[in-house]
Formats: sequence, structure tokens, C-alpha cells
Amino acid sequence: MTTITKTPSTTALSAGRAPEPRRDLKIATGLSHVALVAWALITAGPLLWVLLASFKSNTEIFLGKPFALPNQFSFETYANAWSDAHIGRYFLNSVFVVLISTAGTMLFGAMAAYVLARYKFPGNRAIYYLFVSGLAFPTFMALAPLFYILKGLGLLGSFTGLILVYIAYSLPFTIFFLAAFFKSLPYEIEEAATVDGASHVRKFFQIMMPMARSGLVSITIFNIVGQWNQYLLPVVIMSGPGADQKLLLTQGIAQISVSAGYQAEWSTLFAALVLTILPMIVVYAVFQRQIQSGLTAGAVK
Amino acid sequence: MTDIFTKSELDRRTLLRRAAAVGLLATPAVSMLSACVGGSDEGTQDQATGTKSADNPLGIDPKAGVEIVIFNGGLGTKYATDVDTPLFNKKWPEAKVTYSQTEEISTQIQPRINAGNPPDMINNSGSKLMDFGAIVKAGQAADLTDLFAAPSLDIAGKTVAETLVPGAVEQGTYDGKPFAVNYAYTVFGLWYNAALFKKNNWTPPATWAEFTALCDKIKAAGITPFGYAGANASYYMVRALLTSAGKIGTEQVLKDIDNLKEGAWTNDAVKQAAEAWAGIGKNYINKTFLGLRHTEVQLQQNQDKVAFYPCGSWLENEQAKDTPSGFEYAIAPYPSVTASDKLPATAINAAAGEIYFAAAKGKNPQGGKEYLRTMLSKEAALEFTKLTKSLTVVAGASDGVTISPGLTSANDAVAKAGKDVFMGYLFDTWYKKLDDESRAAANDLMFKDYDAAKFCERMEKASQAVAKDSAITKFTRS
Amino acid sequence: MRHGKYPFIIGFLVVPVALYVTFVVWAYIQAFYLSVYEWSGLGPVENFVGLGNFRKMWDDTLFWQSIKHNVFLLIFLPLITVVLALIFAFLLNVGGGHKGGVTRGVWGSKVYRIIFFFPQLLALAIVAVIFGRVFGPDKSGMINGLFPDSWSPWLFLADERYAMGCLLVVLVWQAVGFYVVLFSAGMGNIPTEVYEAAAIDGASRMTLFFRITIPLLWNTVQVAWVYLGIAAFDAFALVNIMTVDRGGPDGATSVLSLMIYRNAFEFSQAGYASALGVVLFFLTLTFAWVTLSATRRESVEA
Repeated sequence: MTTITKTPSTTALSAGRAPEPRRDLKIATGLSHVALVAWALITAGPLLWVLLASFKSNTEIFLGKPFALPNQFSFETYANAWSDAHIGRYFLNSVFVVLISTAGTMLFGAMAAYVLARYKFPGNRAIYYLFVSGLAFPTFMALAPLFYILKGLGLLGSFTGLILVYIAYSLPFTIFFLAAFFKSLPYEIEEAATVDGASHVRKFFQIMMPMARSGLVSITIFNIVGQWNQYLLPVVIMSGPGADQKLLLTQGIAQISVSAGYQAEWSTLFAALVLTILPMIVVYAVFQRQIQSGLTAGAVK
Repeated sequence: MTDIFTKSELDRRTLLRRAAAVGLLATPAVSMLSACVGGSDEGTQDQATGTKSADNPLGIDPKAGVEIVIFNGGLGTKYATDVDTPLFNKKWPEAKVTYSQTEEISTQIQPRINAGNPPDMINNSGSKLMDFGAIVKAGQAADLTDLFAAPSLDIAGKTVAETLVPGAVEQGTYDGKPFAVNYAYTVFGLWYNAALFKKNNWTPPATWAEFTALCDKIKAAGITPFGYAGANASYYMVRALLTSAGKIGTEQVLKDIDNLKEGAWTNDAVKQAAEAWAGIGKNYINKTFLGLRHTEVQLQQNQDKVAFYPCGSWLENEQAKDTPSGFEYAIAPYPSVTASDKLPATAINAAAGEIYFAAAKGKNPQGGKEYLRTMLSKEAALEFTKLTKSLTVVAGASDGVTISPGLTSANDAVAKAGKDVFMGYLFDTWYKKLDDESRAAANDLMFKDYDAAKFCERMEKASQAVAKDSAITKFTRS
Repeated sequence: MRHGKYPFIIGFLVVPVALYVTFVVWAYIQAFYLSVYEWSGLGPVENFVGLGNFRKMWDDTLFWQSIKHNVFLLIFLPLITVVLALIFAFLLNVGGGHKGGVTRGVWGSKVYRIIFFFPQLLALAIVAVIFGRVFGPDKSGMINGLFPDSWSPWLFLADERYAMGCLLVVLVWQAVGFYVVLFSAGMGNIPTEVYEAAAIDGASRMTLFFRITIPLLWNTVQVAWVYLGIAAFDAFALVNIMTVDRGGPDGATSVLSLMIYRNAFEFSQAGYASALGVVLFFLTLTFAWVTLSATRRESVEA
């Protein structure tokens, strides 16, 4: 699933090539670059603007000139955003929830996928299709019932409730993806281990999991990004009294943007946005290959 | 059920409105809501009592301790620790006040109420406030009749009830008996910068003709005469419009609207108010405001780009950080729409909120009430206002004291209104769908159509749809 | 060999199945069940109304408005995103002409891809907050700030004629990069010999694109179309955060997802919300089925 741009031709046809008209090529390549640079600017522009505006006073923001440099660079707004606007707390909440729920999703998803992919038992297909059918159902459909189920279990406004729901809603895709992956792995090693008397559980953890590493990495990234960016579920579940301490980042930012508490301090909002985006950029810079392939992996299947 | 939007507004404004709403729920529907206030059948514990006298009208035991719990939120807790408790102890030096504060009233207090061991005086507020209607139903709130009938602590010759603004006692009344003190007080009207008006020799209008004439002058000076934020604060506009309707045809107009009475929205008073305001929208509003949020428009007012802004008295405090020195907040009542308005131009819409009550089954309920009597003294009320930038229901407590220009102005407006202070409406907290429709309709009226008849018909239709929708729980008020 | 197989299978399945059944299956079953009740969400479920909720929907102007907006997104979001992504992916991968018999991507294609892809990592909620300010209706908004002072500001989201278009722009902005990378990966899998052979025949770039790239990528395009269509049924975060009065002005940006949310949690109409959910479900299913059958064609095995 890597993004290969070119595979050197194995049969390089050095002879009989139609000669390229050079000038035409130059123009075409030039135009390509113009188009690509334009889109790169459109992509990066708003983000850059947010960064610049996070250092500007309200008056400066009102001047127009969105891409003018700010009069001064002070990190006061960042301190405000982190503490007064609770971005720090929301951030840690998000990290906590996503860590646990992704770990849970991967563990339970891999366990179920493994059993469904490699063991014959009555009801296997039924359970598999039950999971996979979840892909066809829009989350929105079950919004109201989900809320009352959680309410009934006393899990509203709790991290526990949110984590369990995250796991449950991530299972269909995780199982769909990993089951296919486990199916494709060779059986010989496993059989050898069986002969050696390894238990089913040991085989899973010591042999299958390491063998499935690339698939696991892809789908882990997929789940982390998906859960990190969830907005709807937290809004529904982290609601009601007392949840204001437990908001996740997406909710928190959305709330600041409409909130009454921040006296039109846009720079604080922009600083909060930068604080949110920055970690993403750092992580992305380091893992961009894995992230790109992880996220696109699902779509290619 | 709050959502991201209302939750973000869970500041004083919503709490006040919500508390006011809770205070008026005159239907048993409340009991359907969660709070399961089980009265314990243990019987009550021994309650402290003393001998009634002129000096001790509630008959408290001077040596018995009083336990109070204050919600720690937008108002802070200083008013209780630094003002009310010392005042209480000045009169009752031997009564030990046990104080605690919490950000989650129901989490802390509900179990104690259920166990029959509640604190004596509770400030029921915040996003985790207890369902007060249910508390009253369960007999857990002490009847405050004797408190309101007792003489005021420091206003000679008046009972506590007589020292309060009109409607204050009623808002805490359930089935004819008072159970809660709604202590904080929000005043609604047209806010402007008094300094700017002085500089230009503009005076706040009393009639609609004066209003439009002044708007013309303001417009000529290059300032947007009137504005509100369409993106998320259109309900400020709804309140302005309905306040005008209430002035034209008394509060009955608004009660009919709350009660979903047929024809409530197509009533002449509402029509005239909508017509008058549509004219303002057509000629004096800045069209970009439809896309702005309240803080953005409020900021523009601070920069003297907008003259009049319809809002409640929390505005000054909310904008404190952005208000330049020399900007003086002041409030004007909405001008009379017609010459035959049933209420005078000085009439004003104001609502009490923020519930304090004495627990019926505590160790010392009379002590709890005595603490409330302390809070309702003029001195305590003034200090509360100074600390929290919020007015109280103690009438005229801050008269003659300059706390901040905006509060002083709001205080004067209430004094001028005299008996013509009215609570307004509750349909927005009762029927979210109707509230929504009113917001959209107000934006349409002010920014787009300027068509009063359409506004009224649209709202009438929505109101009747709610009335006919059996899926919606109904409330009534009288 | 078979020793302890069943305890192991049950042990491994019990937690995931229990979680899934409790929070997902049970919720979906209840959604169907509740859709025929008029239930506020409080107290016992009573008041069976049969198709009453659906009748109510039929007469609900906001519902039809919302459907219209969803369909608008459903048509234009996949169309614009896929076209743009295909063009960019082609420019990145094949735009550089040939050298030594190898068609090359343009210079810096990796950097472009990194930049393009990034918005995909941002939550739609965050994107909504950013663009809420980008489209600010006065000088403080980024776009209005770029305009010369003499222009009167554009209202963007506050103008009901363009508000929906603004939402579409945001969705496209976020999605394009992801599909550029996806299509690039697909193009990378196309053997260079194919291109070379065509190039020898003197095929122009255009011909390469339409005759080779697209047919070989057809399956991926199909998947992209379905994904984007499903995204078009959501857009909740955008509408809830960005728009005037949430779904306004005057319903001009209301979508089905927002209606479901508000009926469930603000109007205390859990029954009606579930009925809307059922409608959404059938719409999604219909769309996926139509897309997959309408675009079925001989997929060229690369």
C-alpha cells in the first residue's frame, strides 16, 4: 500500500522512443506546477492564516490584510488558550480516550477477526456478517437509541461510556479489514506451532500478531485518526450535567468558537486551533508515509 | 439535554433564564424528569428551634450551627464567605456557620437530601442543579412564608417581601407557597454607550418616532444605529420584539404565547411590534451582522461602530475585557411603539434567577431561612452586586452607589419602572422548536423580508404545530 | 488438535460481540422500533403511531429542505472531488513526461502529496471552526480581508443563496488531498510498460489520461464515489458549527443529520428522530446500490 510513483521499467526500451518535443513538455510541466502550487496554497493558506492571526489583536484582525505579519509575537494567547480555554484539559482528555479506545479496538477487533478468519464453527458466517453489516448503517440513524442505552447503563458523560462506544463503532471496519488480512496469512507456521503443542491463545499472540504487523499498523493508524477526529459521538455522549470537564478536543474547540466566555478574543480561538493542529503536523511529518498508506489502505481493499 | 450550543452559553444568562423557568413550572410534568427525590421515611431529625421575638422573627436557636452550600460558578463564592457569613455572625455570634462550596450541586447534595441529612441552606445552581420542582414536590424545600413575612434585617418598617422587586416572590412560588429565593436579577433593554451619546447630544428615545429620528442621526454620523448578532444571538432580538409586544398589550400577550393560545402570535400587539422592528431592520441594521456571533457585534459596539444593542445586564461584565476606558454602558427601556401602549415607556422586562432555598429536613431549617434573611438585607445585596456585577432582587439595594455604569443604569431603569417590571416569557425554554422558529423568523424579519404579517403567521403556525404535537410535553403559566 | 477450540473461540468473541451488540446492533434495532412511536425520550415508550412520524415528515418543509441540501452535496461533492483529485494525481504521477522510457511524476511530487493530504488529518469539526472564520462576513474573515477595501463584504454563510456552496467548498477542500494520494497509489500500480507502449504510439497526455489511467483506476474511483457520497449524508459538524443559527439562515443549510440530532436532543422527539434515521439509512443504502450498479463495467485487470 505504499505510494509508489514509478517502478523502473524492467524492460527499458532504449530504442525506438518517440522523441519528446521539448518545448511542449516544458509548457505542460509548467502548467502542471501552476495548478499544483495553486492547490497547495489553497490547502495551506487557511492554516497559515490561522497561525498568523493567533498573534494578532482583534483590531489587527479587523484591518483585513489577512496575510500581513502580526505587530508582535507574544505567546500570551497560547497560554490563555491552554489554561483559561481549557485546551490543555481537552487535549489530554482526547489523548486518554483515543489511547484506550484504539488499544481496545485493536485488541478486540484482532481477536474477533482472527477467530472469524481462521476457525470453522457454527455461526461463524453469521457473526462475521453481523459485524460487517455495521459498515452499511449510518451512525446517525441510531443516535437517539444509543443515547438512551447509555443513559440506561449510567454511562452518559463518562469516559468509560465514550470509550466503549468508540470501540463498538470501530469494530465493523477493523474486523472486516483484519479478517481479510488474517485469511491471507500462510498456515504452515501455525500448524508447526500446533504440533509443538502451543495453545490457541499463544499462537494468536506470539505468531499471528507479529505476522500481521503491517495490517495491524495500517488499521491502528486508521482508527487513531478516526477516533481522534470524532465529533458527533462525544457531543452526544459527553453531554448533560458535569460533562464540561470531560469534553474532547473537537468539542472543546467547537465550543470556544461559539462560546460566550471568550469575549470575542479571536486570537485565543486561533491559538487554540494552532495548538490543536500542531501536534497533528508533527506526528504527520514523522509518520506521513505510514499515515497516508494506513488511511488509504481501507479504501483500496 | 443541552447541546454544544446552549452548553457553551451555560453562563449566567442561561442559568438565569432556566432558573426562572424552573421557578415557574406550574405543572406536574416536572416529576417525570430524572431527579428522584425520595423523602426518607426515617422521620426528620431533631430540628433546632428557639423562641420567636421581634429580634428573632424566625425563632432560631442562637447557638445552633447552620450549614450552607454555595455553588461555585460564574458568581464566585466570595459574597457568601466574605459578606453574608460575617453579617450573619454579627447578629448571631454563637451560631457556627459551616460552609462548603461545590461545582456539582446535585452530585454532592442530592444523596444527602435523599438520606434525610441535607444542609440547611442550598444554592441550587450550575449545570448540575437539582430539579427544584421535584424537590418541592417531595417536600424537601422549606416553606418560606414566614421568611418573607419577617421584618427586613436592615430596612426599617418593611417585611422582607416588601423590600423585593415586583414578581420576585412569585418566581419562587409553587402552588401558592414560596419555596425559593431567586436572588440574582437580570434586566433587559437597549444597551448603548452613554459617553458616546453625551458627546453627540443624543438622548435615549421614549417613543418610536424619537427612536427612528435618533437612528437617522446616528446613521448620518457613520455609525450603525442598531444591531444584534444573527448567527447565534437572534433570541436577543426575539426578546426585544416581544418586550415591545408586552408593552403594547401588557404581559398577558406573552402569557398567551407561552400557553400556545390560538391567535397569540397574530395578536395586534405582536403585529405592531413586529412592524415597528421590521422598520428598524430595514433602515438601520448592518447586513453583515446576520453572519456574526454575539461577541463580535458586542465588540463592534465597544468600538463605537454600533449604537444600540438589545441584551441583558450581563453584557457589561461579559465585555469587561474588551471595553475601552471611557466607554460607559447604559440601558434604555424599549421605546413605546404606539401612543396607546398599555404599559408606559419606562416599563421594563427583568427576570430573577439563581435559586437559594432552605432544606425542610435539615438540622436547622429556621437557621437556613435566617441566613437567607441576611442575604436579603440591603447591605448584603449591595455587596453581592459589587462582587458579582449582578443585580439582586432587593429593590434599590444599590441606589446611589456607583458600582459600574451599566449596573447603575440598569438599577435606575428598574427604579423608574416601578411596578411595571415584567418577567417576560418562557416558551423559549419550554418549547425548543418554537424557540428555534422564533430565531429564524426574527432574522428573516430583521435582515430579509421586513414583513410583519409573514412573521406573525409563521410563528402562529409553528406555535399551533407545537400545540397539536402530542409528542411535546406542555406547560402553562398564569 | 481440537482440544479446547470452543472455549477459545467463545473467549475471543465474547467481549467484541457483547460490545457490538449492546451499542450498535441493539441501537439500530431500537431505531427501527422507535420510529413507529411518538416518544419524547422520557418515560416509557408508548403512543404507537405506526407511520405517523413518516407522515409528519412528509408535511415537514424543513425535512424536504434538508433532503434537497443532502442531494446537492451528494451530486457535487463526489463529482468535484473526484475530478480534481484525478487531475492532480495525474499531474503528479504522469505529468513529468518520460525519461529513459519511464513516465515520471513532476518534480516535488512527494512534497505536494504531503501538503495535499494534510487536511484529511484534521477533524471536520476543526475544519469547520477554521472556515467559519475564513468565511467571516466582514473584514475579519480571511477572504473578505483579501478583497480590496472598496468592495462591500461578501456574506458567505449569512447569504442563503451561497451558504450551501460554502459548505461544499469546505468538504471538497478537505477531501481532495486524500483522494489524490489514493489515486496516486492506484496509478503507481499501473505498469509503466502500458504507458510506454502508448507513448511509443505517440499518444498525447490527454489520451494517456482518458484511455489508460481512468479505466485502470475505475474500481478505486467507484470506491471513492461511495465514500464521498456517504460523507455527503453527514456534514453534521460543519452545519452545527459553521452556519448561521445552526442550519440557517432560515433552514438554508439544514441537513438530515442535523435534524436527527436536534430532534433527538433538543426537541425531545426521539421517535421522530429515529424515523428520520430510518429514512437516512434507506437513502444511504439506495445511494450505494445505485452507484455500484450504475458504475459497473468491465474493470480492466492491470
